[in-house]
Amino acid sequence: MKKKGSAGVAVVSPKKTRKYVIKYKSFYIMFIPVILFTLVFHYLPLFGLGYAFTEFRGIKDPEFIGLENFTRMFSSQGFLNAFGNTLKLSIVKLILNTGLAVIISLMLNEIKSLKFKKTTQTIIYLPHFMSWVVTASVFTLILSPSQEGLVNALLVNLGILDKGQEIYFLGSKKWWTPMFYVINMWKDTGWGTIIFLATLSGISPELYEAATMDGAGRWAQMRFITMPALANTIITVLILNLAKVMNLFESVFVLQNTAVIQQADVLQTYIYTQTFNSGALPNYGYTTAVGVVKSLVGCVLVLLCNYLSKKVRGRGII
Amino acid sequence: MAQEMIVKNKKKRKIKPFSVINGIIFIIICFFTIVPIWKVLIDSLDLYTSYGMRLWPKRFGLDGYITVFSNSTLYRPLLVSVITTLAGTVLGLLLSTLGGYVLIQWKMPGRNILAGLLLFTMIFSGGMIPTYLVVKNLGLTNTLLSVILLPAINVYNLVLMRNFFEGIPNALFEAAEIDGCSPFQTFYKIVLPLSKAALASIGLMFAVAYWNDYTNFKLYITNADLYNFQMKLRSLILGSDLPTALGSATENTVKNAAVMVAIIPFMFIYPFCQKYFISGINIGAVKE
Repeated sequence: MKKKGSAGVAVVSPKKTRKYVIKYKSFYIMFIPVILFTLVFHYLPLFGLGYAFTEFRGIKDPEFIGLENFTRMFSSQGFLNAFGNTLKLSIVKLILNTGLAVIISLMLNEIKSLKFKKTTQTIIYLPHFMSWVVTASVFTLILSPSQEGLVNALLVNLGILDKGQEIYFLGSKKWWTPMFYVINMWKDTGWGTIIFLATLSGISPELYEAATMDGAGRWAQMRFITMPALANTIITVLILNLAKVMNLFESVFVLQNTAVIQQADVLQTYIYTQTFNSGALPNYGYTTAVGVVKSLVGCVLVLLCNYLSKKVRGRGII
Repeated sequence: MAQEMIVKNKKKRKIKPFSVINGIIFIIICFFTIVPIWKVLIDSLDLYTSYGMRLWPKRFGLDGYITVFSNSTLYRPLLVSVITTLAGTVLGLLLSTLGGYVLIQWKMPGRNILAGLLLFTMIFSGGMIPTYLVVKNLGLTNTLLSVILLPAINVYNLVLMRNFFEGIPNALFEAAEIDGCSPFQTFYKIVLPLSKAALASIGLMFAVAYWNDYTNFKLYITNADLYNFQMKLRSLILGSDLPTALGSATENTVKNAAVMVAIIPFMFIYPFCQKYFISGINIGAVKE
């Protein structure tokens, strides 16, 4: 019997390996395009990480300046602000979206009419397919402070706001962050229910029958059967998404504007604006350094989540 | 027997108010989901200059849409979107299926090294600027190649594909080998035809990503002739370059019509393909 190596590959002698390589040669050929794309678009950029230690503006050759970019970064208010916002916006968003998705799935699961359930699902999944540009456009239009903006028009008509006092929701320091969460919930909560509904439909009906026989009511059933079954999925979803926390970009980028930059700047948008909209020559060295910090924190988060995932559900996320 | 009936009846009556409230809550949730889209749809069809809350356009007219489709600065981006979506989806599927197929060859020497090489990209990346510099140095900025090639290699989708291929019974591969099929023949005569559902669902994921792509265009394309529809829509909404509205369409009607044009293609296929979209999630969730 062949011994399996730790990675699942049969341990064989070099001679046999050569035979295997010849046997699998067409597979290697098939993999060439995949590996080519990966090397060019994922591994070549890694060589550019060295720019983080240089002064590089794209015209002259990069000039080594040691850790200067990093010291500048950590003393920059803009960077620290963006770092804090990245963590705050993505984590609060994650908790709100997941919480709401769980509640909605539990309620959807109670609907008996299949037709009603299907229609509801079709509708609440819909916003997921809209691009962030479209989402931002839709909400810019309906949250607009002019009379065309649905929300302001409604508030004025109901007498909550006086005419002329309309709120510019997406341009207000007070309102931008809550609006960001609301828009995210609108877009992705429905889609987030899919995974919970799949778990719920996997719970054996016999469990509920047995519980009913034992006199357990609706709440007791939810507490002792449904919630424990969901707990694992909830943790999985949280872990999987925690790994993506640092990548927040497009949703913020299309919703932010200069009036709310303090509230709405995250690391990726900070990198973008510092490079391309700074008015001067792009300072690639500095923004690469910011990117390195972002990637490192992201990497630590992924590994941490992978570790947690292995502990909680017995397998990693990668 | 009679007692049981009574008990059952009692239960039914007990459940009812809860179900009604639950139903009402969902009608409200659906309402809030739909309202923003409905508002845009109505305004895109309304030629009346003052807007408010209306269930139906006051002065119905298609002039907003006519403006979008007759103005070359608007239909050109639409064409760019169609081209990148089609090319990108085909390329993305090609790379995912080839990669997925090779990754299920557990006995292939070096298989784990290759898999590790792919998975590492999910943990650590060079980030926005080094990637930008690579694309720039390759001379791909301001060509559609950059926005087609870059998103085509998607390790997550590749792993989904591999998970699906793993479900194909081994006996089929063995039978194919005995019948003298080369690995490539096995790939397109057995693996691909058996994976239509996965191809549909991962193909749709790619298509949505390409159609909705804004970030890559924003980074790599500065030539306005190569903008896709998302880019155009964005500058339209920001009000930086409004086309002259045709007929009696107002500025706002054109904006709303442009938003609708960006949504409509997926609104049309979505109800028919919903199960493929969802199965994509579940391939990822059920297996790793």
